[in-house]
Amino acid sequence: MSQTRDQYAAEVVASIPLCQEHWKLVLHLQHFPTTAPGQFVQVACRDLELNYSQEQDLDWADDQPVQIDHAELSQRLAFLRRPFSLAGRRDSAGGVEIDLIHRVVGMGTDWLSRLKPGQKVQLIGPLGNRHTLPGQKSSDEAVAILVGGGVGIPPMIYLASQLAGRKAVAFCGAVTRNLLPLTITNAAVAPTATSIEPLYNIEEFATFGIPAVISTDDGSYGYQGFVTQALERYLDRYFMDEPARGRAIIYTCGPEVMMKRVAQIAEARRIECQVAVERAMACGMGTCQSCVIRVKKADPAAAPMPGSDWCYRLACTDGPVFLSTDLLW
Amino acid sequence: MDLSRLGAFVTKSITLEERPGNEPTRIVETRAGMLNAIGLANVGLQRFLKEKVPLLQKMPCPVIVNVAGHSVDDYTSASAAMDSLECVAGVELNVSCPNVKDGLVFGTDPKRLRSLVTEVKRVVPTKPLIVKLSPNVDDITATARAAVDGGADILSLVNTFTAMAVDINTRKPRLANVTGGLSGPAIKPIALHLVSRVYRSVAQSAEVPIIGMGGIQYWQDAVEFILAGASAVAVGTALFVDPATPNKIVDGLNQYLIEQKVDDLADLVGTLRLP
Repeated sequence: MSQTRDQYAAEVVASIPLCQEHWKLVLHLQHFPTTAPGQFVQVACRDLELNYSQEQDLDWADDQPVQIDHAELSQRLAFLRRPFSLAGRRDSAGGVEIDLIHRVVGMGTDWLSRLKPGQKVQLIGPLGNRHTLPGQKSSDEAVAILVGGGVGIPPMIYLASQLAGRKAVAFCGAVTRNLLPLTITNAAVAPTATSIEPLYNIEEFATFGIPAVISTDDGSYGYQGFVTQALERYLDRYFMDEPARGRAIIYTCGPEVMMKRVAQIAEARRIECQVAVERAMACGMGTCQSCVIRVKKADPAAAPMPGSDWCYRLACTDGPVFLSTDLLW
Repeated sequence: MDLSRLGAFVTKSITLEERPGNEPTRIVETRAGMLNAIGLANVGLQRFLKEKVPLLQKMPCPVIVNVAGHSVDDYTSASAAMDSLECVAGVELNVSCPNVKDGLVFGTDPKRLRSLVTEVKRVVPTKPLIVKLSPNVDDITATARAAVDGGADILSLVNTFTAMAVDINTRKPRLANVTGGLSGPAIKPIALHLVSRVYRSVAQSAEVPIIGMGGIQYWQDAVEFILAGASAVAVGTALFVDPATPNKIVDGLNQYLIEQKVDDLADLVGTLRLP
């Protein structure tokens, strides 16, 4: 699937603050291989052209601070690349635009947030496997239920764009309204703190005909509570019987504690749940073997690790998308 | 990327038995570097022969296979298998993994290292045997000499430095393994010093070439290692930043030779002008 992965130089089209700490980076590429929801890119969060700097002699002078101008020491530079899921993609005659939504949590994302239109960003991609869409999976009546939390929301937006015309609903949660990287449309009806009725009030989903339920932990917008609570109430209202549950597929990305709860909720109702996991990774290409996650083995006698009923899989090349029922986490 | 321009490709460590590796978290980014405790995760010799050798056969550059083990038998079994493979140009012994129990045993004890190398060289008669030295020793020239006395054809140095990082909120080590191996630009000056030391104390007189490594990211870094005594250089961590690093280094070295009016890179090896 990722056979065509390569290193690409992208140009910044826009870097837009979405809310507190969250930014949308729109990148233009002349060419980029086919991508699908779930896939990600490894972004160099530093100027790779910033080249070698020789170890410097230090001039010590009385009453003067030492001048350190070695790039690695005088500024905080992200050394490794950072993985970002695709939040959107638009193809045109002029090339490809991709959206990355990131939260500024460290020096890499801080560097990204300071990018200006026209600057170059090096990325490697597309990487990882992909979500299985409902249409590829079951009947036309399938319902996709997207559950995103915080900075796990971006891949749900890209997924939504691929679900236009299908039955789908999005659940998105954040700690508070200011940490919700979504566009609330003023024209739409505002949700109440107890309502779990999906509304067409979030532009990123409404654009693709998908209604959404928003939750905030503090009730500053939408359902007051965790997104998993809203999801559970929704499923218990609309997906009560086996046939309805059989038609549903839950897609989730967000904090691990949230995804684990989503997986529990799905498994208790025997609803398929596709989880996009996040792991610390260096290469993103299956080389460094850092981003492991434990999965169940269908056949303990089979490789890898014959005799063991679990094995490690790599979030980068075996994932990031796994079936919740395969994960041991 | 044009791999045919590279001197060789070195695999991660292969062990006799398959290994799942350490619990995550396995890597942490540090200032100008990376801390890893992967734990020799690999498919093991049998699956390596079946699944990886066909890929290695297609490599447009020589392939060096790195072998690790827990006992002399582990090393000799895996190394003997490599010696019989046409697609393998050389065998490198990892006697210096800081991230597995007993991983450093051979790499830190000159006597045991010498006998291990002697045993392995016996089963690797047709290929160059490279011994990768650990920097986590009091005197690297002692292990370097032991490896040479045991029959090492080439020395490679250095492996990662045992190090750690702490999460101050949880007060826990950031790596599940507690400690890991530090690599990247942060270690370059130390690695360079060790290469220089081993070259002058052991390798030059023994006429054993050195593959220098440790924090090499730019061609200028590579030149420093070559001047210090390395006949070749290897790049690891920098690949994660820019996979094109080796080719950029080749370009830079070619340009440097032209500017310095030197015909052959080999003429620069160990030409450090000491005061």
